[in-house]
Amino acid sequence: MSAVIEKESELTINTGAKRFGNTTSQVITYALVCAAIFLVPSIIDDAYLLNKFSTYLIMGMLAIALSLSWGYAGILNLGQALSFGLGSYCMAMTLKLRTVPVHTGSEGLPDFMVWNNVETLPLIWQPFHSFTFAVLAGIFIPVLFSMLLGWFMFKGRVTGVYVAIITLAVLVVVNLLIIDQQRITGGFNGITDLATLEVFGFEFDAYGSSAYYLIAIFLTICLFLALAITKSKTGKIFQAIRDHEDRVRYFGYDVANYQVFAIGASAAIAGLAGMLYTIVMEFASPTFLGVKISLSIVIWCAVGGRHSLLGSMLGAIIIVGMQGSLSESETFLETWTLVMGFVFVIVVLFMPKGLAGAVESLILKIKSRNQE
Amino acid sequence: MDPTAIMSQLITGLSIASILLLVALGLAIIYGSTGVINLAHGEFVMLGAYSAWALQTFFSLNLFQSLFFIFVLTALLGWIIERVVIRHLYARPLDTILATWGIGVISIQAIRLSAGGELRYVEMPSQLASSVSFLGVDVSAFRIFILIFSAALFILTWYLMFKTSFGVKLRAITQNPEVASSFGINSDRIFGLTFAYGAGLAGLAGALISPLKSVYPEMGTPYVIDAFFVVVLGGVESLMGTVFSAIILGELTSFISFQSNDTIAKALVLLAIVILIRFRPQGLFSSKVRG
Repeated sequence: MSAVIEKESELTINTGAKRFGNTTSQVITYALVCAAIFLVPSIIDDAYLLNKFSTYLIMGMLAIALSLSWGYAGILNLGQALSFGLGSYCMAMTLKLRTVPVHTGSEGLPDFMVWNNVETLPLIWQPFHSFTFAVLAGIFIPVLFSMLLGWFMFKGRVTGVYVAIITLAVLVVVNLLIIDQQRITGGFNGITDLATLEVFGFEFDAYGSSAYYLIAIFLTICLFLALAITKSKTGKIFQAIRDHEDRVRYFGYDVANYQVFAIGASAAIAGLAGMLYTIVMEFASPTFLGVKISLSIVIWCAVGGRHSLLGSMLGAIIIVGMQGSLSESETFLETWTLVMGFVFVIVVLFMPKGLAGAVESLILKIKSRNQE
Repeated sequence: MDPTAIMSQLITGLSIASILLLVALGLAIIYGSTGVINLAHGEFVMLGAYSAWALQTFFSLNLFQSLFFIFVLTALLGWIIERVVIRHLYARPLDTILATWGIGVISIQAIRLSAGGELRYVEMPSQLASSVSFLGVDVSAFRIFILIFSAALFILTWYLMFKTSFGVKLRAITQNPEVASSFGINSDRIFGLTFAYGAGLAGLAGALISPLKSVYPEMGTPYVIDAFFVVVLGGVESLMGTVFSAIILGELTSFISFQSNDTIAKALVLLAIVILIRFRPQGLFSSKVRG
């Protein structure tokens, strides 16, 4: 009996690999797109525009993160923005402590704490004097938090819609707490007036090409790391869990462990994206971990094609990019959002695999025609 | 806490509960019987509120006079949306989250572009603008009206589900679509009407809360999230569960916010729900709608 199941499952994995094209051509495509991203600053020398492009790339990272957990492991995480927000707050805290004394109270106490009558730096802010700690925290706090949440959900075999509801609820809870704990977090206003990031005497100016390259490098690393995960045995098991959770369990795999790993890996990318976002936006705000951005990530992946890391990333960059270029005019933006709603409904109805799926089937069609 | 304060919090809790029930009822019907996760539910609430505003502003109808039109209008809209979009997605329940979210965005933008993004106000019917003294606590007459109205709507819905041939057919389809259709039940038609009824209820909810809150395009979003928690807590297939969970959530919110503040109350209630879903995904009350 088990042999039969094994064979069948192998079969699905094999056809799956064939459907998504062979690895070499995939790596080449991914590399070409990344190369194009690196070329952008040599074409555009408008600082404001470059800053905008940087934010698009960060949204692309978020889409990669969700594609990994939703598209590959089948975890519809509606709280992806939680990791993003936590990362951005970690970076904002350390940059806040480095601001020039004008913006701060006595002994470098952040300005909003002075306004809130806080007298000494709260304990949880203390370690953020160290930049290394902040960077590690920006990745590991979201990872640990997500893995804990994942462990809590998946050990209880929570699936499907309930995963979506729980992750959404947790996001809302953390968001409410951050807004409520104004004395520590800056409340509604978030953490503003940050110092410019400086590492080894090298400044990453939010409006310069240095920040853009920094983000492009991390985007490329994340994209290929995620690709490597999906190509590994673990990645295959992710997809098997997504398609037939029970069968994977019958093989003796601990499904929950794989799901916890998937949600953790995705949180690491999102946390990193959050830190980078603080660098280019020069503030952190509770809206970074809002329901709106969390749902947007889902939309980008759905339109771009959640089964493809590159598709999701491009989906995010294209959608946010168009939104950004239209935001100059209020009516344009409103109309465009309306059109976006229609596009989205149509994509869900007729292209469940998103744009990447449409492109793939097109390539397959051309290939099979050539073979004839 | 002295008795009057407790009484006052109890009544506040009931008032919150009645609004929750009003919003959640339509969602419970749709989710419980068709399995569609309707994220656009909040937008039906919003459209109901805007209809109340439009009928008041352009036709000078007061809230009572417009209730019927609002129900028909939002129900019709719900029916159209079901026919055009939702019915293609019954086999893919997770995709309904995405599609209905898109519909929600379309509704919000359509209202923004037509009625504008500014706050709108709906007048409270003058007969109910006063407050009534109840066991030593002053309660707004309008809030009592909402309480009675949502109770009445619940009884009507229960009657519809359990005492009419429509309800029997709907429950038959939920239980076993193949057998139901071999008995000649047209599931397409029944699902369409169910969606329309749920949307109509949401519209009524929006109209009734419009005098209490300000009306703006994004007003529906918080409601849909709250309503979902009510439905999940109560158990997806239990109408009675929806009532009890609305009361539990309403009272919890009221008492915790009295002890600390609104934000903490909301956060604690959500955490409680998360833990509950983990250990009892079928909800607190899983007595089933199906026979």
